[in-house]
Amino acid sequence: MTKVFAVALGILTAIGGFVDIGDLVTNAQVGARFGLSLSWAVVVGVLGICVFAEMSARVAAISGRATFDLVRERLGPRLGLLNLLTSMLITFLTFVAEIGGVALALQLASSVHELLIVPLVGLLVWLVLWRAKFAAIENVFGILGLALVVFAVAVWQLGPDWGALLHQAVTADKPGDEEWSTYAYYAVALFGAAMTPYEVFFFSSGGVEEHWDAKELTTMRANVLIGFPLGGALSLSIAASAWLVLGPLDISVDTLGQVALPVAAALGKVGLAVAIVGFVAATFGAACETGLSVAYSVGQYFGAQWGKFVRPREAVTFHAVLMLSALLATAFLMTAVDPILVTEASVVFSAVALPLTYFPILVVANDPDYMGTYVNGRLANVLGVIYLGVIAVAAVAAIPLMIWTRMGQ
Amino acid sequence: MSASADRGLENRLTGPIDGVLHLLDRQLIDSQGRLLGKVDDVELTPTYVLDDGDENADRLAITGILTGPAALLDRFGGKLGKILVERWGQNRVSEPHRTRPWRIDIDDVERLDSALHLSVQRDGVLRRDRDALRLGRLTGMGVLDPAGEQIGRVLDARFEPDGGRLVLCSLIVGHGRPGSLLGYDRRSDQGPLLVRAVVRWMHRHTVIVAAEDAEIDWPTATVRLRSRPTERPDHAFG
Repeated sequence: MTKVFAVALGILTAIGGFVDIGDLVTNAQVGARFGLSLSWAVVVGVLGICVFAEMSARVAAISGRATFDLVRERLGPRLGLLNLLTSMLITFLTFVAEIGGVALALQLASSVHELLIVPLVGLLVWLVLWRAKFAAIENVFGILGLALVVFAVAVWQLGPDWGALLHQAVTADKPGDEEWSTYAYYAVALFGAAMTPYEVFFFSSGGVEEHWDAKELTTMRANVLIGFPLGGALSLSIAASAWLVLGPLDISVDTLGQVALPVAAALGKVGLAVAIVGFVAATFGAACETGLSVAYSVGQYFGAQWGKFVRPREAVTFHAVLMLSALLATAFLMTAVDPILVTEASVVFSAVALPLTYFPILVVANDPDYMGTYVNGRLANVLGVIYLGVIAVAAVAAIPLMIWTRMGQ
Repeated sequence: MSASADRGLENRLTGPIDGVLHLLDRQLIDSQGRLLGKVDDVELTPTYVLDDGDENADRLAITGILTGPAALLDRFGGKLGKILVERWGQNRVSEPHRTRPWRIDIDDVERLDSALHLSVQRDGVLRRDRDALRLGRLTGMGVLDPAGEQIGRVLDARFEPDGGRLVLCSLIVGHGRPGSLLGYDRRSDQGPLLVRAVVRWMHRHTVIVAAEDAEIDWPTATVRLRSRPTERPDHAFG
């Protein structure tokens, strides 16, 4: 019974935890402009994160080593450090975007200016990272993030022409007034939003935090293979609702309020309130995960004690990095930079940084030295190699597309 | 207690290991399961090996694990490594021997799997008592054939248990192309097929040299071989 409960809880938190500020903003932007014609990019991204997360969590469970341990062991200290700095920078950018996202969501509820909320959010994130138990962080925000199901309800309430939506999704039917270059740019952005590297750092480090071993593999696979696709479905419902409400009015999404607009239109104030709860939970949870990921990466590269499974005074460097990144992220947001812009940049750079950690994990997941009999099977390797190609293409294409389309203008 | 104590992974200290592939950069875990650093480098000491009898030459044995910035920065290699270590020392001139790395004696090491497990607690285990030869300096050395022509660089060093020590038995020599830390040049059963084919092709010139045939000159960072090697390191590990 407790096993069933654990699996169910894991799946629910994976659904809520999948969606973060990147998914919210990118899916709404794409939905408003392209409808469901880019759904395939979400599907490709979700399957990709399933492949990546399953591999790295299996490596963590069997070998007891998380992502950046392996990055350094397989790439050496020099390339490993370069990799660490790049990945950390992008995870930090995502961290900034998530904190900004929490502030924007609270601004929707309170009408207090975002800049007044940012320091409070930064402080709260740090306090939670310092004091709260790992399982509490994972579960509370994951479950509350399920409030975003309100987007699926909104789509249903709007009573769309399901056949037309499905047709648009299946045939990847790009609206005539959009360019192919922006279409490709948003495909990469959606891919990056679904397959954010921090999710994997966090997931695999979390496996070490919770002392997973071979017994937990089934639970882990259920979380990944059921939770993430359902989270992806949630992302698609955000896109669909944006298309139905914002598409006909030619509204492009530049604020978090516009992301919530379709819910307000379909379900009124109550719906909006639920959506805001979902926003806060999803972005706050992701802020904790990205913040932890930055500190995990540093700890794993240098071998210093990391993790929430020991008391803060046993992992001083780890908690110093946590505090410093919360402080820096808050300072960055206080320059009045637009969090939505930071989000857009972070999802594209996520796509650029993916191969850095994906490749070492793919290699180690095949290494009997680390994995014994739990090395990648045929399916994991066929998908693993296909995705190595997909990830490489997305990483190479991302920055040229960003410059060419001027971030999708 | 230790997160990976009872994972059923094989203890590598009982058989041959490749120093870079299996030991360098691994996590150090103490007897309580707490983390205390990385294997930033490995200390090698010329040791007189008793058994076998016929050979009396000093052989290089692993005598300690080096950890901390002084060891790590040195491995950034060449001029950059030297400058970084120097700066690390200048950072706090009042501290003696700051450029010497922290050291853990090999006798305090219990097992090696996906991490290096110590038999002692981490509190106060580090020493800074000497500066010795390092594995990180052996790798990267230029390798000259008997005619004096450079045939590659030292990519890795293989050690085998002998008289209670891990003793250098051979060097792996190849062109310093990326990917030699991935393991594909050492074992032929590691997937995925496509990655293996590419990496093995890149490392098709990699050979293995017996330690007896190699004369290591530490000051000039070169290795002279007494015979031209042809054997590939392919099938050492499955």
